[in-house]
This record gives sequence, C-alpha cells and structure tokens, in this order.
Amino acid sequence: MRLKTFKFGIHPHDMKELSHDCKFEEMPTGEKVYIPLAQHLGTPAQAVVEVGDYVKVGTKIGEASSYVSCNVHSSVSGTVEGFVLRENAMGKRIRHVCIANDGKYEEDFLPPLENPTPAELVERCKECGLAGMGGATFPTHVKLETKTPIKALIINGSECEPYITTDYRLMIDKPQEVLQGIRYLAKAIGAPEIWIGIEANKSDAIEGMARVAEGDATIKVFGLKTKYPQGGEKQLIYALAHQKVPQGGLPSDLGYIVLNISTALAMYEACALGKPLFSRYMTVSGKGINRPANIWVRFGVPFVEIVDYLGYSDDVVKVISGGPMMGISLHSFMPVVTKGSSALLLLNEDEIRDVDPTTCINCARCASVCPMGLMPMMTDAYVLKNMIKEIKPYNPLACIECGCCAYVCPAKRPLVQSQRLAKKLIRERKL
Amino acid sequence: MSENKRFIVSSSPHVGSSLFTRRIMIHVCIALTFCLIAGVVLYGFYSLFLVLLAVFSAVGAEALYCVIAKKPLTIWDASAIVTGMIVGLNLPPTAPFYVPIVGSVFAIMLVKMLFGGLGKNFANPAATARVFLLLAWTTKMTAFINPLDYAGGKVTAGDFFSFRFIVDFADKANYVTGATPLATIKSDALAGATTTNVDLLDLLLGTTGGSIGEVCAVVILFAALYLIILKIIDWKIPVVYLASCAIFTLIFYKNGWNYILPNLLSGGILFGAVFMLTDYSSSPNTRWGAVIFAAGAGLITMLIRRYGGMNEGVSFAILLMNLLVPLIDKACRPKAFGYKKPPKAKKEKEVKA
Repeated sequence: MRLKTFKFGIHPHDMKELSHDCKFEEMPTGEKVYIPLAQHLGTPAQAVVEVGDYVKVGTKIGEASSYVSCNVHSSVSGTVEGFVLRENAMGKRIRHVCIANDGKYEEDFLPPLENPTPAELVERCKECGLAGMGGATFPTHVKLETKTPIKALIINGSECEPYITTDYRLMIDKPQEVLQGIRYLAKAIGAPEIWIGIEANKSDAIEGMARVAEGDATIKVFGLKTKYPQGGEKQLIYALAHQKVPQGGLPSDLGYIVLNISTALAMYEACALGKPLFSRYMTVSGKGINRPANIWVRFGVPFVEIVDYLGYSDDVVKVISGGPMMGISLHSFMPVVTKGSSALLLLNEDEIRDVDPTTCINCARCASVCPMGLMPMMTDAYVLKNMIKEIKPYNPLACIECGCCAYVCPAKRPLVQSQRLAKKLIRERKL
Repeated sequence: MSENKRFIVSSSPHVGSSLFTRRIMIHVCIALTFCLIAGVVLYGFYSLFLVLLAVFSAVGAEALYCVIAKKPLTIWDASAIVTGMIVGLNLPPTAPFYVPIVGSVFAIMLVKMLFGGLGKNFANPAATARVFLLLAWTTKMTAFINPLDYAGGKVTAGDFFSFRFIVDFADKANYVTGATPLATIKSDALAGATTTNVDLLDLLLGTTGGSIGEVCAVVILFAALYLIILKIIDWKIPVVYLASCAIFTLIFYKNGWNYILPNLLSGGILFGAVFMLTDYSSSPNTRWGAVIFAAGAGLITMLIRRYGGMNEGVSFAILLMNLLVPLIDKACRPKAFGYKKPPKAKKEKEVKA
C-alpha cells in the first residue's frame, strides 16, 4: 500500500511502546468531581443546576451559552456542593461545578436513536455536548452544521503526537463502535464518502479498521506515513486529497470535514446509547509514571487521583496535559479531566529537552521542517527586536503551532513561543 | 504530597531533537579532521602545526573579543574551532607561522564577532580570511609544494617533521612544483587545448600541489558523505554547486567535457562546496535560495577560473554570493501553505481614479 503524506515535518520518537499494549481500564472515581463549565473552544456553558440539586450521571449541568459552545453534563450521581474557582490546565481560574459522588452512578441518559435523520443526529450531537476530542475541543455540532456540500468525511486516526495511544486502542478494541459512530457522523453531514487516515506505525489498526469496513464501498482506509504533524487538519487533507486549505479558510470550504476517532466513538455512544459526553478515554504515560495505562475516566476527576492511582516516581520534572509537541505543561496535578484531555504525561529528565536557548545559528532547519512553509527564525529574530511590522511578510498567522521548528532547533530557541507572540501582537496592533 | 512538587512549566513543544549547536560543530570538526589527516600525510607534520595554530588563534581571538566587549564567553559552542580549522586547511603547506594567526584573528574578530558572532556573520569568515591573506601575501599563499614522495622511498623522519617553512619560505627553489593542477588547466585552456594534461588519479588522492585540506578529493567526498548522512549539511548546496561548475565548464571551455573532472577535483571547489558554501549563517535560509546561491557561486567560480587573472576563484565566488544572500532570501521567501494572494481590488481602483 502506498502511504500518503504531506510535505516536510519531523520524525520524533513516537514513544508509543510505553502504553500501546495496555487495554483500557476504568479509572475509579473519587468522592468529589469538579466539572469545569468551559471545557471547549468558544463561550463557557451556563450553569443550569443550583447548590443542593441532586444530579445523575448524564444530567445536564451546563447549557451552551451561544452557538459555539457546548452542553456540559454531570459525570457522577450525587449532590451539587457548589461552584468553585479552580485552575484549569491553561492556568486560568475558571468556574467548576463541584459534585459529591454518591457512588450509585444512577443514569439519566437520552433515549437511543433509531434510524435517525441527519437533523436528529446533529441535534443529538449538540444535546450531548460533543466537542472535538483530539485536544482542540471545537464544538462538533458547529462542524456538522456546515452549509457547503461535503465531498468526504475525513476521520483522523493518525494520532501523530508521541506517547498518545488512545485512538489506537479504540480502533483495536472497539472498531465496530467507532465505525458506527463514523457512519452517524457521515450521515449527519451527508458525506458520500468516508476516508479514514491512519499512520503506518499503527498497522494493526489499519488492518482492523479495513476489516470492519469491508464491503462498504463508501469507506476507504488509508495508510499514512508516520510523520509529525500528520494529524494536523490541513496536513491530513493535503495527504488524502492533495488540496490545500486556504489560509484563514475552513476544511469545509474544500468540502471536507475532519473529525477524530474519539469523537466518532462519542458520537456512537450519544446516538446508539443515548450517553451524553461525560467521560473519555485517555492515555497516561511517560517514564515518570509507574504504570503507563490507557484509562476510561469521568470528567471532573483531578489529575492527582489518576497519578496516585497509577503511581509515579520522584524524578518527574514535567507534567503535560496532551501530547509532548502541543500539550500544555502543568505546574501541579490540580487540573481535572475534561473533554480535551487526550493524555496526561509525566516526563523525567531524559525525555524532555530543558536547556537554555542559545543564539540562532541560522541553520534554517526550522524553515526546512515547517509543514506550513514558514520561516520561524525570522519571526523569532524580529519578535526579539519588537519589529512586528517586519514580521508580517513571514506570515506567522499561518502557523499551526505544531512545534516542528522548536523540536529541530539546535540552539533550542523557543520558536513556537515567538510565533504565538507575533500572532498576538499582530492582532493587537491590527497590522 | 504530590501537590508540593514543583514542575517545569514552559511553552510547547516539550521534547526536542538531540542535535545541539555544539554537537553540530563537533561533527564538522570531525569531518574537517579527515581532511587534516590527509593533508598531514601528504605534506608532513608542519601542516598540522599550521592548522593547530589557526585553531588556537581563532579560539583565542574569540575569547579575547568576549573579554574586551564584556560579552559572555562563547567559545564553548566550538564554532571558533571550525573557523580556525577551515582557515588552516585553506593555507598552502608552506605558509609561515604568522599567516594562520593573522588569518584566524581576521576571520573571528572582523568577520564574525564584530557582526554579532555565531550565526550573524554576513560572509563566511574563513573564505574572507583566505581572500584577505591572498591579497596580503600573494606569493606566500600560492607557494605550493609537491607532497612527500612515499613511493620513491625518500621520506625520512626529518622530512616529515621539518619546520623549514616556519619563518619564511627559504629554499623555495627546491620545493616548488612545476605547476599546480589549477595552473595546468588554466594554461591549457588559454592555449585553447581540447584536453588538459592533469592526472585524475593524482587529483583524487591528492598527490599533487595545493592547499593543506583541499587536495585530497576522496577524503573530502567521504567527509561530505559523513556530514550529509548525519544531516549536518543539506546535500542541495554542494550538489547544485558542483553541477553548476560542471555546466559552466561545459559552456566556457573548448571541448568542455574533458575539463569537467579536472576542474571539479582540483583546487578548492570540493572543499568549498562541502565546508564553506554550506556555512549556516552566510548561506540562504530558503530552499530555492540555496539552489540559486550555489548555482551563482558555480558561475562566478568558473568565470574566474576561465577568464579571470587567477587560477582559483572559489573563495571569491563564495564571498560574492554571501553578499547576495539577504537579497536571495527575500526573493525566495516561501509562500505559506494555503497562501492565496490577496485580491488586488485596491490597485485597480487607484488606476481608475
């Protein structure tokens, strides 16, 4: 099979061997969960419960406050104890709903859908609070309600970030459910074709998905070259369709919608089981964790309970929510599991590169790996000199912050940080 | 308690490649060492002395500059060693001791440090130093000798460890070769000969007159392979440069086919292609820029070799193209993925108004 791919990019060690054989296990839930009202991109949800209310698993506790927003549901049954300000993974203090878990896990699900229409599917997706579960947490119903005619639904099974094995395990353990979810999604947007892209380092997942999709002419499973950032939306579309998403445009402008495996499974659970999105599968890995695992966990469980459950060593120097290339480093274990928590990584000294940046040697490695065709060294130099106008031709707004440039930089310059700063300053000054 | 533990918080990405600036420089030093060994075997121990002198003066000059300018000491990134080695390897094996010192100090102080140090120099320090030395001591910089004649069995320890050139080139008459391959090519081309009388095997093995590091083509090719496989340098610049030199040989010379290999294997073309054109800070940062840069250097090299007053033109070509790099980079700035030209509606309006 010819592997498809995009141009440039990097080959980091994928480190998936730590957890790729670990079957999903259920993470026990503690006495209290803290469910943030802002778990997604867009406006935070509006709380619809009050202190003292009794909620069940799946009871709506927050309602979407605008179009680009998501419903939030309780992950346990019990009493609402109050609203607390806690730090989320970004370090921002936001409102969390604190629910005392009574341990009964009484369910308050929606009725399963039988032979749903596209409108019903989108409505269900909205009702269940689905958000992109690869990490960006963009509300899924917004993607599904596209106006442009869709040529194909692209399912992102590339999972190109090192360490993370969640989508891989889902494709191995629950291929039927994932496929059913993908079919629901395709029906919702009226996509005539479904393309599933999976990186070649997950060859058994490629085979597994191809096997369950056999006989369905609308579904095509593609092998992708193992290369980072293969799972970037624009890179994936380029690899499969050989089309470039215009800068500032959306994949739907070209007639494609990209959703990932976890989202497809959430869609299946929402439609076939009536389960709102209150839990997710995630990878807990890194050499700092005693027992790397793939876990099923309810939202609102603080990371500290997860690391205490799996055990961790003292030499942990960096804790990351998400993958090592684009994830957010945490200063404590206090943040909780949310819709976007694809992984929790505890890394030790050997795994990270924590050295002071030295002067740029102009080797152009950053430009040679940038999948967006940018020149990060120029942005970095101009940002340092506060010459923001001069950065404009180097187009930092096109940066997808994948981190390839900073990964290869021999001077270990914080190039992604410079790009972010340049973006912010350009937007602020309206240049 | 887990809450009291302190973790590093930083911007993504959190992992990185293991290639650091110093490691790159050390790999280049290793590749240069291959050439140095070849030079020492060919021309004797004095060559090693010259190169070491160049390295020590380069590192010393950088340290001195840092102290004078009250800057943090930057010699630990090993880039001064690379510059020093290239300056040393560019010298003829007969250079007096002060030549490498002056060359290295010039390269480091004037070309590298005054313009901001590592990564900021506008031109290749070693190429600039070579041009400077060539203009300052033209005869000393072009006094090439035949290599030690191992086959003849006349090489004694005294010959090998001889320091007779240290102060000046005293007994010139006994050591100067009839003509270096470059001079032969030049005179043949000027005479309009359809072929040149240069032994290709001599050029490959380096058993001929030339600069310490430049003569042994086999070793330079091996060093190039080493650097390209380890991804220290990009293959594009050397390959395009050599291709460009070959093409312009074909155009400029009568019966150019016969001149391609003698030209490519002699003089500094190979050494320059691998070690000097690929200098990070003075080569373009854009993909197509690198191609234009290397092709242009090839054109200038061959123009000088064929029509210029000198036998050799590599360092001049490198220097001239170095100066064009900012312009080349600006012209070749890549378009971002998915970039579309903004509509030119405004301009049309202006025209109508």
